[in-house]
Amino acid sequence: MNRIINYLRDAIGGVLSYFGQTKLRTSLTLLGITVGVSSIIAIMTVLATFEKSYDGLVSDMKTNVFYITKDNPVQISFGGSGRGDRNKPNITWSEYEQLKRSLSLTKNISATVAEEPSERTISVGKNELNNKLTSFWGGDAAILSLNKYEIISGRNLNQQDIDNSTRVALIGYDIKEELFPYSDPIGETIKIDNLPFQVIGLLAPKGEMLGQSMDAMIGIPISTFLQYFSGRNWRRADIMLILESESMDTVDAATDEAVGVFRAIRKIPPGAENNFYIATNDQLMDTFGDFAGSLTLFIGLVAGISLLVAGIGIANIMLVSLTERIKEIGVRKALGARKIDIFLQFLIEAILISLLGGIVGIILGLAFGNVVAFFLGQDPVIPLDWVFYSIQICASMGIIFGLYPAIKASNLNPIDSMRYD
Amino acid sequence: MPKSKKEIIAIDSISKIYHLGDNVVKALDDVSISIYENDFISIMGPSGSGKSTLMNIIGCLDVPTKGVYKFSNELISEMNDSQLANIRNEKIGFVFQTFNLLPKLTSLQNVEVPLIYSPLGRTERLQRAEEALRIVGLSDRMAHKPSELSGGQRQRVAIARALANKPSIILADEPTGNLDSKSGVEILNFFDELHKAGNTLIIVTHEESVAKRAKRRVELFDGKIVVDE
Repeated sequence: MNRIINYLRDAIGGVLSYFGQTKLRTSLTLLGITVGVSSIIAIMTVLATFEKSYDGLVSDMKTNVFYITKDNPVQISFGGSGRGDRNKPNITWSEYEQLKRSLSLTKNISATVAEEPSERTISVGKNELNNKLTSFWGGDAAILSLNKYEIISGRNLNQQDIDNSTRVALIGYDIKEELFPYSDPIGETIKIDNLPFQVIGLLAPKGEMLGQSMDAMIGIPISTFLQYFSGRNWRRADIMLILESESMDTVDAATDEAVGVFRAIRKIPPGAENNFYIATNDQLMDTFGDFAGSLTLFIGLVAGISLLVAGIGIANIMLVSLTERIKEIGVRKALGARKIDIFLQFLIEAILISLLGGIVGIILGLAFGNVVAFFLGQDPVIPLDWVFYSIQICASMGIIFGLYPAIKASNLNPIDSMRYD
Repeated sequence: MPKSKKEIIAIDSISKIYHLGDNVVKALDDVSISIYENDFISIMGPSGSGKSTLMNIIGCLDVPTKGVYKFSNELISEMNDSQLANIRNEKIGFVFQTFNLLPKLTSLQNVEVPLIYSPLGRTERLQRAEEALRIVGLSDRMAHKPSELSGGQRQRVAIARALANKPSIILADEPTGNLDSKSGVEILNFFDELHKAGNTLIIVTHEESVAKRAKRRVELFDGKIVVDE
């Protein structure tokens, strides 16, 4: 034990003085480890912040809610299910109406269509909204509660609005702040692509999610949206259906029923695949998990290569250090150092060098990851598990790549080594 | 030679044979020698006479090809590398011609090096190292690095390092070879003192003036001991 403490003290002293003499060379070697470790830590930090807000997002959405869409709405995984099948038919208004009539386990079914983000110009008189809308949607009365929005003044959409395709609008708090800073917007007229709409309701602010304002949004009746904003043939326009079962216990049964009925509406023969996508919140979670998984794999690969290169660098620097210190090793051996003493001295040095690079990498990675998280509006996090893994990885690298130089050093013959110059 | 003295080293007809290509070189040829407590021996001989080989074997840096070497009744000629390292560490103090101090370490740290490989604790290690530096008169140079010391001072640090482990023998290889004559005399005087204090000294040299200081003179020629008086 006493010897081990001595090695450590010696090795730390050795590494420090070594640094003093070969700053550039050692720093370049460390750079490789630093890049590898910092990329791991940065990406894990970003993912951790996303996971945190994603958990919030999902628990924010009612869990007895599920969706029927043309394609998987979350298209962010590498490879995977990918960017959907262009040949899938749109989900149409008439399918929505047929489905609505046939479901028994679904408490509520809403049709919605959204542009996220939207390029529409929004204006009041001569004032035009500077920022683009993050969401411009058509929907019905249920959409607000499904998405956890609250009305702070005015009224919600109602059935007459849908039936008559009235030009009325719900506006998010950002819109009020920018276009009606000093007045009540209710009853005022705003223009969406120069089409006048009457503001009927103002929504309570919700803040940001994944770096985007949840309040830069405008909602209008779905029928109005389809009629004015969905192109020439609104009956063929693609919509999204949001369904809600009675409770979380019945969501599976309700999902099964909806799939069955929708297949019947589309006359899909038994055994054929669904030509639509049904999404539960669980699936959204899975999709995120897939995305995080493939990103981790990709970054792991990049980091792995960079660490391998760095490891070879460590082996190289230890071999250089070995040649420079043959005489020292000879003297130490003559004075009583055994093979194992020299072996451990070199190995500990290699571990210390790679740990040093790792710690710098962890600090840089945390800083970078949290800067990214900050700009995405997330709270800072420290992925402690990955910090821990990184330290382990670095220590292992020191051992693996320090092994050969350490063995080589320990096998030097004291007589010849002392004569070496 | 007073036989009442305790025998430390018993070397019985050892040979060291090197194979250089097809040539067989007998660096040592059937050499026997006994070294007793408080001996002060000079080993002389022209280069190639085998004196370095003999010193390496006595110093447990090398093992003989044939023959028996006992150090305090331990059979050195049969030991493995680790056991040899332990013997070097505990029983032998080395003084080299080129001092062989570690340039990055201070005097104190240099003297500590052999103690690091011994079972001593940190406090005792420091005490021993300080004590050894005090003996060689360098208490005021403990924090200096070798580059900040004169040649004579460096060799004294090296002697302190050799003394630190309280060795059974001190083995000096041309200890004055790299020193000016004044420093050389200083170091030799110091060896005299060590001898008077009861230490066992072996000095390998080719300088007559150095050999004269010793109480016993061993000469090698062609791998054989030709003089032992």
